[in-house]
Amino acid sequence: MIRYLARRLAYLVPTLLLVAFLVFFLIHLIPGDPAVVMMGPDATPEDLASVRKALGLEQPLWRQFALWMGSLLKGDFGVSIHTHRPVFQSIKERFPVTITLTSLALLFSLLVSLPSGVLAAAYHNTQKDYLFMLGTILGVSIPGFWLGLMALLIFSVHLGLFPSTGFVPLWDDFWEGLRFMVLPSITLGVYMAAVVARMTRSSMLEVLRLEYVTHARAKGLSEWKVLTKHALKNAFAPTLTTIGLQYGMLLGGAVVTETVFSLPGLGKYLVTSIYMRDYPVVQGCILFIALVYVLINLAVDLLYSYFDPRVSYQ
Amino acid sequence: MADALNIEGLKTFFYTRQGAAKAVNGVSLRIRPGQILGVVGESGCGKSVTAFSILRLVPHPGRIVSGRILFQGRDLLELPSREMRRIRGDRISMIFQEPMISLNPAFTVGDQLIEALRLHRRISRAQARDRAVEMLRQVEIPAPEKRINDYPHHLSGGMRQRAMIAEALLLNPDLLLADEPTTALDVTIQAQVLDIMCRLARELGTAIMFITHNLGLVAESADRVAVMYAGKVVEEGGVADIFENARHPYTRGLLRSVPLPGRRTGQGRGQLYEMAGLVPSLFDLPPGCAFHPRCPRRGEVCLREEPPWRAIGPGHWTACWLEEADAAPGQS
Amino acid sequence: MIWKKLSRNWLGLIGLAVIALNVLVALMAPFIATHDPLQIDVANQAAPPSAKFFFGADEYGRDIFSRVIYGTRISLFVSVLSVLFATTFGVVLGAAAGYYRGWAESIIMRCMDAIMSFPAILLAIGIMAVLGARLINVVIALGFVYVPRFARIVRGSVLSVKQKEFVEASLAMGNSDAAIIFRHILPNCVAPLIVQATANLAYAILAESSLSFLGLGAPPPAPSWGNILSDARNFMLDNMWMTIFPGLAITLAVLGFNLLGDALRDILDPRLN
Repeated sequence: MIRYLARRLAYLVPTLLLVAFLVFFLIHLIPGDPAVVMMGPDATPEDLASVRKALGLEQPLWRQFALWMGSLLKGDFGVSIHTHRPVFQSIKERFPVTITLTSLALLFSLLVSLPSGVLAAAYHNTQKDYLFMLGTILGVSIPGFWLGLMALLIFSVHLGLFPSTGFVPLWDDFWEGLRFMVLPSITLGVYMAAVVARMTRSSMLEVLRLEYVTHARAKGLSEWKVLTKHALKNAFAPTLTTIGLQYGMLLGGAVVTETVFSLPGLGKYLVTSIYMRDYPVVQGCILFIALVYVLINLAVDLLYSYFDPRVSYQ
Repeated sequence: MADALNIEGLKTFFYTRQGAAKAVNGVSLRIRPGQILGVVGESGCGKSVTAFSILRLVPHPGRIVSGRILFQGRDLLELPSREMRRIRGDRISMIFQEPMISLNPAFTVGDQLIEALRLHRRISRAQARDRAVEMLRQVEIPAPEKRINDYPHHLSGGMRQRAMIAEALLLNPDLLLADEPTTALDVTIQAQVLDIMCRLARELGTAIMFITHNLGLVAESADRVAVMYAGKVVEEGGVADIFENARHPYTRGLLRSVPLPGRRTGQGRGQLYEMAGLVPSLFDLPPGCAFHPRCPRRGEVCLREEPPWRAIGPGHWTACWLEEADAAPGQS
Repeated sequence: MIWKKLSRNWLGLIGLAVIALNVLVALMAPFIATHDPLQIDVANQAAPPSAKFFFGADEYGRDIFSRVIYGTRISLFVSVLSVLFATTFGVVLGAAAGYYRGWAESIIMRCMDAIMSFPAILLAIGIMAVLGARLINVVIALGFVYVPRFARIVRGSVLSVKQKEFVEASLAMGNSDAAIIFRHILPNCVAPLIVQATANLAYAILAESSLSFLGLGAPPPAPSWGNILSDARNFMLDNMWMTIFPGLAITLAVLGFNLLGDALRDILDPRLN
């Protein structure tokens, strides 16, 4: 198990380097002079020079990258062009909002998808199953931002059930905070719920055909126990991988959802910074989110070996 | 002495788009307490489906259509599900062909044995564990206290199957259904595992329904043998009867197919004996006797009518028109 | 043979019909639209749906119906081109990685992993942020983001086919690497590629509309469905129709590809046989 973990981490390092390089390189894709693009056409030569110096744009590419990596490892994600505050600071302030949003979306998604996926597999080829398939296919086809807009219109504006914008941290006031989060997290979670539900169903179907399921029944276990204990534990492994990958959809989707619901999270910060051409912030946010995603997938991989013990021995 | 199990006229069909496959088409079997009945036949003859029918675990789209399965005086087919579940694993247990896929890879061997115990008995986890270790020792798994914490994929094929046997016999069942328990094992291990299974069962007084296509294994271990073909039992008798005095042409064909050095097959020098023809499709069984297309001695009546089930000696039965003339008087 | 199986799959046929409808609308847009999609008509600002404006008018008085119709062109253009881009590069990279193995495989697959370490939309946003909002950039951004999925599939197929004996036989006969790759190995990848491509067409439509909604996609005044919805935000409180129709258009188009993709997967995926 430890060896598996060590191997997995070792594999991670070159990938992370490449990830960092991609983000670093992004700024160099800007057509034209990045400094001019960032500061706008009215910038003075002094401003431009200071920006160039701050970003180290004069130096050769590999040196820039080395310097950038160096500061990253020290926790320095750069400084915002417009607010002059360290990017990491701003990220720290906004990240809790995004994490709350994505976690609630994940929770909602799992609560809906796992039971329905299991039941759909149990009721395979019946009307319930077909309804399920229809529902999930709609779930993956509806654009998240549209769902958010419609939800806002219907539940917030017309029915007045939930507030339309704003955020209250859950740890300050749980129920009030939850009220602000209901619409955004459900909107964000729908797509993932549909994907995970289908994955659960197909995974369960595969497992249910296997002999150890018949064996479990032959032991005298109730169908419920067979499904939830024996089948699900095995079926959950591939589903877990999907959940990890889908968390990426959550993180990406959070950008859109935060924009629709005006939540002060990392996603909205990213979008606003793009409008303002504040590229250090853009880089910092993208890198940070990517790192979170990588960590989550690492955690998923480790959890995977709990559900499928055969894996750690490859 | 009451039978351990008495199957009467069991019919289990599979309903698919191509029609109904008559997997079990009127099977009647009897197993006495503590007896080992070998059920032999080629793939698709219905022997596994019979076992599944006993436990009422026939997979979709199969359905038990008619018949009675009497166990300890009750018809299993009439029991409510809850009752049936109490019997499964406790009074009647089953082991399967491929232990790699029959043991759940996500749980340790110990977990699965303990689960079986605690499902049917009120004992503590610690006591269950001790029982499980003891059972693993009985099936000759070395260092059982350590093995009990292993996952199935840590064990060799032979050990896994022994663990399955341990689990199946843990609760001292009256009947063990063994569905090709040694087929997936190396030849050298087969005899070992079989030996352990039969020895333990005899010690516990458990009857065994030993399903296999390997006649040789049956000769070694069974008390009685039932030969199945195309969903029906075509001959049944004591081991000696079947091997020395087989009467049904199919049984005889099967026996001749086992190559032995020095035995004449009648096919010419150096040729293996082959039964002509193929097993019929279960969707489209031939009229009359299902074996007639392949039977070297078929007669007119065989093409038209199904032969009746008749005793041709004490405890020796068969269904063949050729035996009609020899039917022992007063024994049907 | 595929057609025969497909013709029995109701949902797949519906999906195909929906896609055909979309293609038709895109091609015949000038004949179906009632107005010029870019035509501003301030007098009719936020006009509700009527016989003149089937779907109503937006805040600039532009006919939403016509904009939605022309929007089909943008969605299909972006999705088809980006998937084509991704497939081409994916096949080349994946085949090279799977066939030649060694350091080529390591480098290529690590790069693919690195790209996949980003949430797709996030990376697309990042690329669009630096390249600027132009339609061709959307194609490039999405194409780039999707390459790894195709590369992985092709590499997997190549690896599994490579092990089969007929490849050794072919090499022994003196066939060149390229010939082997093209004639023997790639045909085996076609099935999973088709499945992935259909799924990706669906993602691409969703992605393009999301990017446009954020202002990072097709530049206004282009009638991308995402743009129409983004424009509608200011006025939607009292004019719900502004959001309903473009959203339905997106959902319908994506649904078509998803239905077809599901059907194709059921037919082509060997695991289910």
